[in-house]
Amino acid sequence: MVKIRRLVQIFFILFFIFLFLKARFPYSDSLSSDLFLRFSPLVPLFDFIQNFQINMLYWPALMILFVTVFLGRFFCGWICPLGTSLDLTDRLIKSPSNKISSKFNRLRYLKFAILSATIIAAFLSINLWSYFDPLALFNRALTVVVYPLTTLLAESTILKLSEAPFLEDAAYWFYDIFKAFIMPEDQIFLQQVFWIGLLFAGILAAEKFSRRFWCRYLCPAGAWLGLLSQFRFYERIVGKSCPICNKCQVECKMNAIPDQEIARTSKVECIECFNCGALCPPKTKAITYQWRWKPYHTPFDFSRRQFLSSTAASVAAVGLLSIGIKDKNASAYLIRPPGSLPENDFLARCIRCQECVRICSTNGRCLQPSGIYNTLTELWTPVAVMRNGYCEYNCNLCGLVCPTEAILPLSPDKKKKTPIGLANFNKNLCIPFVQNKDCIVCEEHCPTPDKAIKFEIKKVNLPNGSQKSIKYPYVIRNLCIGCGICEEKCPLPGEPGIFVTTENQMRLTKKDVI
Amino acid sequence: MKRRHFVKTGSLGSLGIGFMPGLLSFHKDNPVADVVRVNNGEPSELLDTAIKALGGFSRFINKNDIVVVKPNMGWDRAPEYAANTNPDLVAAIVRSCYLAGAREVKIFDRTCNNPRRCYLNSKIEEMAESAEGNVIQIRKNKFSTIKLKNGIDLKEWAIYDDYLEADKVINVPVAKHHSLSRVSLGTKNLMGVIGDNRGLIHNGFPVKLADIVSEILPTLTIIDAYRILTANGPSGGSLSDVKLQRSLIASSCMVTADVEALKLFSLDLDQVDHLKEMVKRGLNKFDLKNLNKKVIDLV
Repeated sequence: MVKIRRLVQIFFILFFIFLFLKARFPYSDSLSSDLFLRFSPLVPLFDFIQNFQINMLYWPALMILFVTVFLGRFFCGWICPLGTSLDLTDRLIKSPSNKISSKFNRLRYLKFAILSATIIAAFLSINLWSYFDPLALFNRALTVVVYPLTTLLAESTILKLSEAPFLEDAAYWFYDIFKAFIMPEDQIFLQQVFWIGLLFAGILAAEKFSRRFWCRYLCPAGAWLGLLSQFRFYERIVGKSCPICNKCQVECKMNAIPDQEIARTSKVECIECFNCGALCPPKTKAITYQWRWKPYHTPFDFSRRQFLSSTAASVAAVGLLSIGIKDKNASAYLIRPPGSLPENDFLARCIRCQECVRICSTNGRCLQPSGIYNTLTELWTPVAVMRNGYCEYNCNLCGLVCPTEAILPLSPDKKKKTPIGLANFNKNLCIPFVQNKDCIVCEEHCPTPDKAIKFEIKKVNLPNGSQKSIKYPYVIRNLCIGCGICEEKCPLPGEPGIFVTTENQMRLTKKDVI
Repeated sequence: MKRRHFVKTGSLGSLGIGFMPGLLSFHKDNPVADVVRVNNGEPSELLDTAIKALGGFSRFINKNDIVVVKPNMGWDRAPEYAANTNPDLVAAIVRSCYLAGAREVKIFDRTCNNPRRCYLNSKIEEMAESAEGNVIQIRKNKFSTIKLKNGIDLKEWAIYDDYLEADKVINVPVAKHHSLSRVSLGTKNLMGVIGDNRGLIHNGFPVKLADIVSEILPTLTIIDAYRILTANGPSGGSLSDVKLQRSLIASSCMVTADVEALKLFSLDLDQVDHLKEMVKRGLNKFDLKNLNKKVIDLV
């Protein structure tokens, strides 16, 4: 059973990575790249809290939730790629046994506190849960940290090898294969790398304190599945032959076996890794797994007092997040991907998984995980930073890979007519206005069929008394779709002579897209 | 060493080619045109006719040469929009190069939009590969800075290694309108092999472009005028700006070909600053006032 479990775990993490790598141009959505993100058990829960309906978009998660009632937290032990990467980390840094890590048991309530606090925040229309969603978290780490880091290390290693004369051909041959099939993209540069990396590294490093630290004490998805599996029908039975050697108790990944009462596994904590059965000495073989139609019940570790205090904390957090000043200057640069829902709905639905950022990094490269413009809840939502990239005119891929339709899927034609912002000239910087020279790089790149940037030729008196004809660009406001290629390509160093703000942005709702 | 070698032989070679029309003019029975324009045909027949009039591909390509074919595929546009070179023409050129004995034909462009989108949607990648061409993506680490001997504003600039190392270069621009430089033809097309921040050469464009391009003149220039973009260039995007011209202009001298192509847009040399600058510097191999020009109309 353990072998099968490991194979399944490896299969799912590879499947996740495969879908992740597949999210690139050219993209075919026959197998949708966001499929695995819709496995997350939290997504339908919070969608229900927001809309009071069950959305079949999340069918993979709904299936898991249904099966969990019978089987328990198998998702955590068998499917979750974050869980698998924690198991792999264990092998590297050797987590302590439960003899040592039992002292953290009192932290178990935290995951329930996080779940209930984020549920209450969600009722009050504040999305905090998606920062804790394990699949979103894993995808975020892959997009922002793991993939760019791997590109950097692999490319520079191969190119370094190519400098050795006797290796040149071999290295370039390998490089070509690497670029054709594994990582075709150029090096990706994203903001927030440090914080997202730190969080991910912290979660991995916590394995030093106990196995599956994140899953035991923090993961709200685990808490939610635990709540559903209190009565699970598939039970671990400890036979009479058990000599109470406590081997299984000490080695249990989740410390789900109480040391006083070995037979009563905590159904809330157990993730069905089946390690206990394998650890049971061959002579005794006391542990079996069976279906029982009168299952015992495990209560979960969350007292009324803990519930009340986490609720109070949540309400206070919602308040504090809502009463901050809205900085108009900063908000004007919070440019959302084309097809985004109106801002409040967008913030509520977006799970900060960075799937759109990932696929954009293989196209125009404008999307970045946002920092904090006004409130904390903007953190790591996708924002278009046009100075570093631009929205490809013919590309509509961000909407196609959004797992929650916070960015609606648009047809290419619809996307081309959906402005995400508006370009403005800064005539204090723009080359023709300041330096009396032609430039109009922005006009050249403007992609709309009827160009949104046009120019007029005017004569200008130069300081030396002579006259010169110069092309002065300007923006036609109702043609501009805010794609930002003008800002990206502006040859000025530093601040651009043309920049995009959210003015004119068109936010869509489901009704607008058939 | 390779680069120095290239620059040396390249300049000697172009000098040689420069004298060639004079030498060839002794053979009155087989006069080779300086520049040829072919009208009213499909891309591959336009090419074949033009190259025959220039004396055949073997005049330009030797056995075992490594050839770079430089189309314009800078934009994420379908071929119908005439923002990129016609893919059938590129494929036909690649095939002809191999027939003339080329060892390898490389095709690349430093694009304005995302390179993979451009390569794919221009259909050049697909068509060139079907002709066994080696379509390569630009690698950031493969640019070398060269000295610009005759540079006025610019003294050095980065050029793509594969371009510098090639034995022969065939420049295949599409003829199109360009807002800054008036037209985009062979000279402008070579911006697709230069590195660094290209936006920086847009102010003082004619001089800076001539500074760079004069160092990297191609062996042969074939201007694709099958479809031409008459307005809103270089990126276009509207079919109403595209004119089905069904022509092709070719010459061993890029400047001569470009000047000839101005007629497509009813322009004079005086109206196009960057070409005027090229002629002012004497970068045209042939006397523009006394050209041996051939115009062939296919039926």
